[in-house]
Amino acid sequence: MECRVLSIQSHVVRGYVGNKSASFPLQVLGFEVDSINSVQFSNHTGTYNVEQGYVEEFALTQNPLRPSGYTRDTSFLEMVVDIVQELKRANPNLVYVCDPVLGDHGSMYVPENLHPVYKNKVVPVADIITPNQFEAELLTGKNISTEKDAVEVMDLLHKMGPDTVVITSSDLPSRLGDRFLVSLGSQRTLMPDGTKSTQRVRMEIPKVDAVFVGTGDLFAAMLLAWTHHYPNDLKTACEKTFSVMHHVIKRTISYAHDLAGPGRKPSPPQLELRMVQSKADIEDPAIVMEATVLNL
Amino acid sequence: MECRVLSIQSHVVRGYVGNKSATFPLQVLGFEVDSINSVQFSNHTGYAHWKGQVLTAEELNVLYEGIKLNNVNHYDYILTGYTRDTSFLETVVDIVQELKRLNPKLVYVCDPVMGDQGSMYVPENILPVYRDQVVAVADILTPNQFEAELLTGRTISTEKDALDVMELLHQMGPDTVVLTSTDLTSPHGDQFLVALGSQKMVRTDGSKSTQKIRIEMPKVDAVFVGTGDLFTAMLLAWSHHHPNDLKAACEKTVSVLHHVIKRTITYANEMAGPGKRPNPAQLELRMVQSKKDIEDPDIVVEATIL
Repeated sequence: MECRVLSIQSHVVRGYVGNKSASFPLQVLGFEVDSINSVQFSNHTGTYNVEQGYVEEFALTQNPLRPSGYTRDTSFLEMVVDIVQELKRANPNLVYVCDPVLGDHGSMYVPENLHPVYKNKVVPVADIITPNQFEAELLTGKNISTEKDAVEVMDLLHKMGPDTVVITSSDLPSRLGDRFLVSLGSQRTLMPDGTKSTQRVRMEIPKVDAVFVGTGDLFAAMLLAWTHHYPNDLKTACEKTFSVMHHVIKRTISYAHDLAGPGRKPSPPQLELRMVQSKADIEDPAIVMEATVLNL
Repeated sequence: MECRVLSIQSHVVRGYVGNKSATFPLQVLGFEVDSINSVQFSNHTGYAHWKGQVLTAEELNVLYEGIKLNNVNHYDYILTGYTRDTSFLETVVDIVQELKRLNPKLVYVCDPVMGDQGSMYVPENILPVYRDQVVAVADILTPNQFEAELLTGRTISTEKDALDVMELLHQMGPDTVVLTSTDLTSPHGDQFLVALGSQKMVRTDGSKSTQKIRIEMPKVDAVFVGTGDLFTAMLLAWSHHHPNDLKAACEKTVSVLHHVIKRTITYANEMAGPGKRPNPAQLELRMVQSKKDIEDPDIVVEATIL
């Protein structure tokens, strides 16, 4: 496999967010990763200190493409769009994977002026996007209260650009109960007869009682990898991606609890993803959840 | 295995030198790697063009402070390589000393990169910093012949000279010294180059002993960049697993290099086409493709105990 990714994300000396979260797993899966570090921080800002916020992250990749993550700077984001467009001219097969990080749970955690840049410039050139429910609502101006709403929102996102959309998390009630959250995906493919067909999937993901940082970046990187191997099978790509996440998170939370001791909440350093320890799971994830194909 | 390395080296967007060369293989072997990027360049400087930014000594300090403020400045290993700036290198020494105070068992693996084949490719004022400050706090040192001569002020013409120089280096600080390449003649002929190693150990009865080894490595007709960084990182890993057996550690390290280089030159020649010399981009190490060799290298060289 000869596949080169350009990833423009943050670098942290210690821990796993941004390029630190994306590079090792992609390399372990045999991808060449060229990485541009948008910042270099000692560690993520998510919870190491009292400041709420996230590290600047950006990822842009070439063949396939994958930007992830979030930037606080419109000019940086616009530069990324320029680079994407130039790379696509040079390679029309290039795939741009974009995590349009804007906020979560009803509130934005980036400056508001980023929203129009994502909506009007970034998403139109993206091929795969991984918004959460709030970001999907922001980008389309439509609320999601039901699964039907979510499917309509994903269709709107398809119209804006990307043929593959994964709503990574939502508040929709899960059939498995409130210990689970619902993720949805939608992929538009061109049939041999020229018509378009859309595969839609739903996944129920077990909730974990902890705050992880870097999991979104790992998710987008692994979705890049598994859609590369399963380009017309979003069900399988999602099952693999979510399964990897499950294994890494499970290992991480066990270790964090061991370190913290009984009855104590683990600290941010203790909650850093057990990335190198999860190599075998990254290489060949045991599938632990099944995506339901929605028949619509 | 719970082992954390602080690696302070360059970052290139594309290709494998510095931290790009060291990090993936160490992670694949299960080491936690915290990496401070001393520069961020588009690619290594052997290409026709390179662009990027450098980290100042002050910025290095700021990053270290961030780690320290969070009380996570605990490392088992420190790894450094190519540095051009004396104040940056001096700041590295300060960091090493502080980390050693916090963890007396910390092992500082140092590649004193200064030049090769008789000429320096860093500013001359780096030499006194290495000689007078850095080597003193190093535990494992991987100079080439030229660097070993510079550090000790002695010339190496025979194997005996090399052993004397390694002994001098031991006295300056490190208990483990590997002369990664020399001009010494190999018993196998001129298609081979000679590397030497020396490790001081304390036996269980308290007495000191030194293991000295020689390894002959086949020469390759190409210029690779990043192989020294890979070597030093892998020596860190294999001496971690074989702390009192320099022979085994070196055989594994040199074997990994062999596999990576072989894969790289094959690919590079294919890319270049018959009769054409590969260019720097084509000669980038086939690092991710060599994952299995990195994890579990077939031993292809034997070190002779002297």
